[in-house]
Amino acid sequence: MSVNVITNNNERCEFALEGLYEVYDPEVGLNVVDLGLIYQLDFDESEKKLDCTMTLTTQFCPMGEAITGDTTRSLSGSFPDWQINVNLTFDPPWDYTKISPEGNKFLGR
Amino acid sequence: MLTPVMGGGLQQTTNYRVVLPFYVFASISFLVATALLLLHTDIAQLHYFNPHTLAITHIMALGWGTMIIFGASHQLLPVLVEGKLDSTLLAYLTFILMATGIPFLVVGFYIFHTGWVLETGAVLVNAGVILYVINVFRSSFKSKTRSVHSWYMIIASMWLFSTTFFGLLLVCNFNENILPGNSVSYLSIHAHLGIAGWFLLLVIGVGSRLIPMFLISKYTNNKTLWWILGLINAGLASFIIFKILEISAAYYYISLILVLSAIVLFGRHCIKAYKVRIRKNVDEQMKTSLLSVIQMLLPFIALITVLAFLPADSHPNIALLYGFCIFFGWITAIILGMTFKTLPFIVWNKVYHKKAHAGKTPAPKELFNEKVYNSMLVVYLSGFGLFIVGIIFMNQLILKSGAAALFTTAVLYVFNTGKTLLHQPKKI
Repeated sequence: MSVNVITNNNERCEFALEGLYEVYDPEVGLNVVDLGLIYQLDFDESEKKLDCTMTLTTQFCPMGEAITGDTTRSLSGSFPDWQINVNLTFDPPWDYTKISPEGNKFLGR
Repeated sequence: MLTPVMGGGLQQTTNYRVVLPFYVFASISFLVATALLLLHTDIAQLHYFNPHTLAITHIMALGWGTMIIFGASHQLLPVLVEGKLDSTLLAYLTFILMATGIPFLVVGFYIFHTGWVLETGAVLVNAGVILYVINVFRSSFKSKTRSVHSWYMIIASMWLFSTTFFGLLLVCNFNENILPGNSVSYLSIHAHLGIAGWFLLLVIGVGSRLIPMFLISKYTNNKTLWWILGLINAGLASFIIFKILEISAAYYYISLILVLSAIVLFGRHCIKAYKVRIRKNVDEQMKTSLLSVIQMLLPFIALITVLAFLPADSHPNIALLYGFCIFFGWITAIILGMTFKTLPFIVWNKVYHKKAHAGKTPAPKELFNEKVYNSMLVVYLSGFGLFIVGIIFMNQLILKSGAAALFTTAVLYVFNTGKTLLHQPKKI
């Protein structure tokens, strides 16, 4: 895996990312994982709670609601009995260094 | 430590119902304007103050340029002011007043009915603009901070009101002498209030936010944007003062240089954003928008030619060339590009934002026909070029060919706009 996502459970994280690879930023046409929008996935096994911390390419992205909604639906699909919280952060802000090598290839960089 | 933002941090988007009617009205206006241009190519040989030129100019400036900017800015205002649109009701009322007033105004000019027809149109347009200005002000001043982009919106909207209010005075002046001179002598002030104060400021204000956003470029330079804002305002204010004081035309170079410097700085801003873009593959819509930045220079070339080589008011075709380069050149080019960057997103958000992960959804760019878009661009550039050649050589055949190509552009534009607007969700 060539993406940097902070997590407390590697196995569950990989399963979550499998679904998130199907969540696209509609403008860029690249999935949120390769774009580097997913910062952290925290799994609370006892509470069955998943906290996802993510960002957007710009704080004023008009597609933000669609992208975060899509992320929530993807995680709910992967973990049907879990409580899913998707939190947005812009600290640190997103930049191009967060794009995976696959993402860079897609963008022609 | 990652800190989630308070209040969700999501951009609050404007309801699509507010925005889409403006796009529909603008599309039809473009079609009507190009049809009128095709019918009346003889205007190239007439003084610019004639019924058909005035009708075409106002349908291009208000029906096409302003209405689509109103639609897009109601959608983009939250992005620009970093808040939300203050009132959707005001936006609806703005549309109703403008959509009623513009036909009155255009028909009034076309049949040259200087009485109630023109006056009704001008009053309704002014009422619509006042509501728009109130909405921009209330949306902007609700936010805790105001970005440079917000100030572009605020100042441009004030210049727009100056333009339409001055226009109303000119219309009233046809029948009663409320201004010291006749209406024709004030036309250049009225035109430049709209061109530089409204269109140029707004296009640069919005473009400086959207172009880097769509290129996924992190380039930003607020200092340059403040300079551009100052230069355009100084250029416009100085032009109005020189005109009112009836100072020698040589002084207009000062205004010209100020505005030209602003455009060059904006071009430089776009080049820098382009160079550091993350997305290397630039789509056709962005290329069209960037082309419009280059097209901004064409009216200046025409104007410098007038000031430097021709005696004042003796060559109406140059004035027409200047106006044509503005309304059918950079304003049209940026609209052709930006419509298919913004409209598919608005429609996509409407149709798919709650269905996105229910299966494979089309990308926003798949909502219109790309081949038709590319053909539209080729036809547009041919028509634009041909019409310019036609004006220069006063050749009716070339003018008709150019106008026919521009009409075809409008047909293709309406086709793709309709296809996008009528998009139905795919079974997923």
